[in-house]
Amino acid sequence: MISRLRQQLRQFPDMLLQSNVWRSVFRQGYPDNDENRSLVVMNSVFLHFHPVKVKTNTLRPAYTLGLGIISLFLFLILIFTGGVLTFLYLPTTEQAYIFIQELHTSVPFGALLRNAHRWAAHLMVLSVFLHMMRVFYTGGYKHPREFNWVIGVILLVITFLLSFTGYLLPWDQLSFWAITVGTNIAGYTPFMGAEVRALLLGSTTVGGEALLRFYVLHLVLLPALLIILLGVHFWRIRKDGGLSAPLHAEEVEK
Amino acid sequence: MSTQEFSPQQRDKDHGLVEVMGRSTPMVNKGPEDTLPSWPYLFVWEALLFLGISALLLAMSILIDAPLREAANPNLTENPAKAPWYFLNLQELLLHMNPSLAGVIVPTIVLIFLMSIPYLDRNFSDIGIWFASRKGKLITVWSTIYTVPLLVGLILFDQYIRVRALISEPEIIPGWIIPIGVMGLLSVGLYAVIRPFRPNTREVLVAYFTGFVVTFFILTIASTFFRGLGMNLTLPWDLPPGALSF
Ligand code: HEM
Repeated sequence: MISRLRQQLRQFPDMLLQSNVWRSVFRQGYPDNDENRSLVVMNSVFLHFHPVKVKTNTLRPAYTLGLGIISLFLFLILIFTGGVLTFLYLPTTEQAYIFIQELHTSVPFGALLRNAHRWAAHLMVLSVFLHMMRVFYTGGYKHPREFNWVIGVILLVITFLLSFTGYLLPWDQLSFWAITVGTNIAGYTPFMGAEVRALLLGSTTVGGEALLRFYVLHLVLLPALLIILLGVHFWRIRKDGGLSAPLHAEEVEK
Repeated sequence: MSTQEFSPQQRDKDHGLVEVMGRSTPMVNKGPEDTLPSWPYLFVWEALLFLGISALLLAMSILIDAPLREAANPNLTENPAKAPWYFLNLQELLLHMNPSLAGVIVPTIVLIFLMSIPYLDRNFSDIGIWFASRKGKLITVWSTIYTVPLLVGLILFDQYIRVRALISEPEIIPGWIIPIGVMGLLSVGLYAVIRPFRPNTREVLVAYFTGFVVTFFILTIASTFFRGLGMNLTLPWDLPPGALSF
């Protein structure tokens, strides 16, 4: 009796992996052989961004420092936390501040949600900058990756702008004066400063129009741009044969 | 019940665009011996990183509350009024030169410099090697040693002696000519420091990129932690409440 049960338990993983429910989701068996390890990558929309095989150099933590992936994960966390925050916020000068206050006082886990969104944003700015430094100092921008580096610089600028536009949304003294200072800087653009500033603010001072503009930029336009360019960024990494690596393996040791 | 007979056999599929071959890789110039399957070697790392970041972020969010001051009031100026920290480097520059130069022209030139790096350095024999070479490492260190004291010195000079106290008229001299001259001299000086190494193109770029990164961090730190009321220099523990712009 007991031994029969044991036997059945032992067979259970195999049964599960071969059941038509499991196979309808994953299509291949557990990736413990070369064939299934390839299929698992090719059959999954999420994994297929990756190659089936990676260079050993790519796996060295001391090479990438994981910073590109860290930037991506922070961005995904920001999309998720930001998405939930959107349920709890309206961009009007009368209400915005009250909504943020309520996160701290009456929304369950509201403060945690806001904190996570804010700290992830700061960390993302930092990690994207450090990722740029890693790519530079390892020579990862070299042929044929020149243009992916250029896309990277644009990604850095968009990351700055995403963080900057989000900064206004709590509509407290910190955000109001930071955005006043920031848009004043844009207002020093030679020959068309006033126009650039008016375009950003929708007015001559930071007010309801600016709040609406920053809200739409922060929730729709800049994230869309970032996602599209990230798609290009990753696609190009694949087309360039994966990550850069020293031409001769022994140079890794030095 | 066996489900085998109901599930289509993967092996029967004969129309895949990609065929799996034993021990080979599509990568150019790379033998199969230099590669590992992504499953599990890459995915384990990614999963661990995701868990690590989530844990860090959760801990941070529990321990530190995001700031929330009084509601925005256009009639009550914050002192100091600071931009978010990653723009404070520009705000720091603003204190020392004409605002168009500091706020728009210098950052535009920096972005153009960054984007042109791969087109200036066309040699890829040293791709994938940290700091290019031993020489490159020394150049990175020397560029840092050169940049830090000079920048700190310039910030202190402009606070306690003040360029504008020495010469304020016409505006073009303290606003444009002196700062452009100083930045030009700093750049030429950096080249003079690394010239004895006989650097190649990449190593020259390493020096200038290092100069940029160090400047970015020094200006950001100075403006974040050392600027108090009226953006005057202060020690971090004397900062007025709420002078940190996170
Ligand atoms: C939103 C921001 C960004 C994200 C999420 C991102 C993501 C990634 C990821 C996941 C990789 C794979 C290797 C690694 O983890 O290091 C990568 C590689 C690369 N990134 Fe980024 N990146 C971003 C911004 C940038 C920036 C600012 C630059 C440069 C200015 C840049 C230039 C590159 C280049 C050239 C590679 C290929 C490096 C190599 O082959 O060694 N990226 N990026």
